[in-house]
Amino acid sequence: MKYSSFSPARIWTLASATVTQLVRMKILAFLLVFCVIVVGAGFAFPVMNPEQQLKLLKDVSFGALQIFSIVIAIVATSLLLPRDLEDRTLYTILSKPVPRFEYLLGKLLGVLVLIGVGLILMDIAFSAVLWLRQTMVLAQSIGALKQEGVATPEAVAQLNEFVGKQGLTWNVHFGVLAIFLKASVIAALALMISCFSTSTLFTVVITFCVTIIGHGQSLIREYFLQGHFSNVIEKLLSALLAIVTPDLGVFDVVDNVINGELVSSASIGLMLGTTALYLVGYSVVSHLLFVEKEL
Amino acid sequence: MKRHLQALVVLLLLGSVKLPLEESVTQHLRAAKLLSKPIDLGIRESVGQMSFAAALGGLRSLIASITYLRAYRAWENIEWAKVDSLFQITTRLQPRYQNYWDEASWHMAYNAASSYLYNEDIEPMVRGKFYADYIQRGIDILNEGLRFLPDDARLWNALAEIYDRRVHDPKKAAECYLEVHRISHNDRYARFAGYQYAQTSDPELWQKAYTLLKTAYYKKQRQPSVIEQIKNLEDKLKLPLMQRIPEKRQALEQPQGMIRPTQ
Amino acid sequence: MPEPAPSPPAVTVENLTKVFKSGLGKQAFVAVRDLSLTVQPGEVYGLIGPNGSGKSTTMKAILGLLSPTQGRTSIFGKSSTEVESRRDVGFLPENPYFYKHLNGLETLMFYGRLCSMSGRDLKEKAREMLVMTGLEDAADRRVSGFSKGMLQRLGLAQALLHQPRLIVLDEPTAGVDPAGSRKIRDLIMGFKERGITVLVTSHLLEQIQEVCDRVGIMAHGRMVREGRLEDLIAVENETELVLADASPELLAQIKTLIETQGGGAKLVRSGHSRTTLERLFLEATEETK
Ligand SMILES: Nc1ncnc2c1ncn2[C@@H]1O[C@H](COP(=O)(O)OP(=O)(O)OP(=O)(O)O)[C@@H](O)[C@H]1O
Ligand SMILES: [Mg+2]
Repeated sequence: MKYSSFSPARIWTLASATVTQLVRMKILAFLLVFCVIVVGAGFAFPVMNPEQQLKLLKDVSFGALQIFSIVIAIVATSLLLPRDLEDRTLYTILSKPVPRFEYLLGKLLGVLVLIGVGLILMDIAFSAVLWLRQTMVLAQSIGALKQEGVATPEAVAQLNEFVGKQGLTWNVHFGVLAIFLKASVIAALALMISCFSTSTLFTVVITFCVTIIGHGQSLIREYFLQGHFSNVIEKLLSALLAIVTPDLGVFDVVDNVINGELVSSASIGLMLGTTALYLVGYSVVSHLLFVEKEL
Repeated sequence: MKRHLQALVVLLLLGSVKLPLEESVTQHLRAAKLLSKPIDLGIRESVGQMSFAAALGGLRSLIASITYLRAYRAWENIEWAKVDSLFQITTRLQPRYQNYWDEASWHMAYNAASSYLYNEDIEPMVRGKFYADYIQRGIDILNEGLRFLPDDARLWNALAEIYDRRVHDPKKAAECYLEVHRISHNDRYARFAGYQYAQTSDPELWQKAYTLLKTAYYKKQRQPSVIEQIKNLEDKLKLPLMQRIPEKRQALEQPQGMIRPTQ
Repeated sequence: MPEPAPSPPAVTVENLTKVFKSGLGKQAFVAVRDLSLTVQPGEVYGLIGPNGSGKSTTMKAILGLLSPTQGRTSIFGKSSTEVESRRDVGFLPENPYFYKHLNGLETLMFYGRLCSMSGRDLKEKAREMLVMTGLEDAADRRVSGFSKGMLQRLGLAQALLHQPRLIVLDEPTAGVDPAGSRKIRDLIMGFKERGITVLVTSHLLEQIQEVCDRVGIMAHGRMVREGRLEDLIAVENETELVLADASPELLAQIKTLIETQGGGAKLVRSGHSRTTLERLFLEATEETK
């Protein structure tokens, strides 16, 4: 048996155990709730104008996707370490030739796989409802035009364009990708915090706070970089906040994706890069905190 | 303990390195119109703390949808001031979504204005004032929207229609239609601009109208209305016969011809 | 430092001290104090001591689960701080527990994969371990439904799965019924025969006595006695006389015989017979109080 100090197979073993562990916690019950919300949003408010109906469907669905991914990222990740520690499974795992960073990576990967699969499933459900709704809305509107006798090719083309822009496009899936990237950063953050925290509740609360601040981090950062603060204490405090929290706003392209803005590959690259930076950074810090943790 | 210090150092180092990176990524994504400008802090009182936090947390579009629904409800209850203020919040949350501006102005310039105009409970003098005020409000909303979306054909078109149908200012309507044409390259709007210019009382603008319509004519857009309007303008501009379009010449040469004479 | 031997000791603990800091302001607690021990390859070493004497802490330090405050520990010459040191060791922690969503076989497969085992080899080995520990009926049952003794046996199977050269068992017989604990004792005997090194703690002294080559007795974080079992128990100038069905009259006669014709010999103690290790244990751990 050859021993290697880094083994993707071991990490994958840990990750898949984590996924089943989380799935057995019934965490994916969220998916059902999500489907109900999407279908509800898709068929509620039939009186509004067609574009707005589709926008609302997307708003509600993306909102649910974001909430799902963030809640799972925070809660599931915060549970992992304390649970293994309480169940003492950590003793048996770490008494095998498993480096501690592999254990951490396995856990993180497990959460990411879970969130990723959850998002893909939800994306499929949501895309189906959106497509269905789009077809219905279009047929309805063209029917209305015909009834009024104004269904000129130009009018129909314009309607097609408006509805198409609000309907299902590839771009929509890039929005889901951005949501996934944000959730990954939050999961890495939660894992880092759980490496020094002493209770699950503490991890959840702190991660939640950092997540909220992270969404407003660009405001704080810009105020700091542009020297808006004159007070020294304000300056230090804002600098510290901007330094220790991630800029989660970077991933908030969804609003504009819903609006039909195209996600360029450069933008995807930048978001991926930012995510990688945070993941690597937080994993290194997690490792440093965890490597000498008393079990 | 030593490791904890190392961890802190790494965290702070990473934090300081990432600041400029985050800043440039944000700028790039904003330039690509993927990220919105920072949210207007003044909106906090109007939407409430919870919604404001949610809007910060990447749910801005959803919150906008909710205020939109509230505005929709207010419209159903014919509460015009509320419709206006809720749409104001909605557009401030998502200024780059043209549909909100379009609908907000439509509610003001058409629905609210007409509703006041035909409200028997109000003094006739006041009614007229309200009518004009709400149309102006619709125009203001579109102009504000155009500050965020200067290249939005739909908003220009909406503005053109208000000038045409509500204010009866053909010169301004024509200018707006020309903007639509500039953006959409749809010749239909150049024609519309031509029609509007033709309705003014300024001979210089008639000339503009004539040029626009003749262009349309040469692009083989020869709907009866175009031809009629061109003939009309040729009369008004008193053009020599030889410069006129063939349809006109034919009509003059054989008055009993297939084509309906002008006037 | 001992001269580089062809095979290094299976376990070395050098001057291990472990202090637990319990939050700011509160007093630190010394769980293990300047402890040294060596376990040679092929040896069965028993570590005994009262509750809270630091046995489990020592084992965790050996396995790198805790970092020593002072001192060093190593396995087969590799420091416990290196992950590689855990390649050849199987560990059964006290009151082991496993992922409750897995069944018996899946649990073993999981640990096998962590030891870089895979494929049919792993599956066969896992089944073999289940049979060996008497869990073959529980292969398809979720761990959440396991009894205490079953968990203990699964823990043992998990520790043996990758055929380690050293096995560290923390109270392997806790919660196991007499037949089961007898089986575990037999297993340990089997390891000894196969040349596998065993480091074991237990409260069941008879068992330790039967299987251990050497024992260490810990009290209050210190090693108070250590050595080969026979050497420890044997007391040079004492002789033991164990009688069965002795009448009080006979005992009285013996007493007077010693007093009258003993020639300086003294009766140190009389009473019901105790296992010798138990006596030693009580004496040794009480004198340090
Ligand atoms: N993580 C910890 N934090 C603080 N104190 C600890 C910790 N782990 C163990 N201790 C303390 O260290 C002492 C030794 O504990 P240890 O578990 O090593 O005892 P033990 O000899 O295994 O006892 P037992 O026979 O009951 O298993 C105990 O007093 C215990 O309270
Ligand atoms: Mg113990």
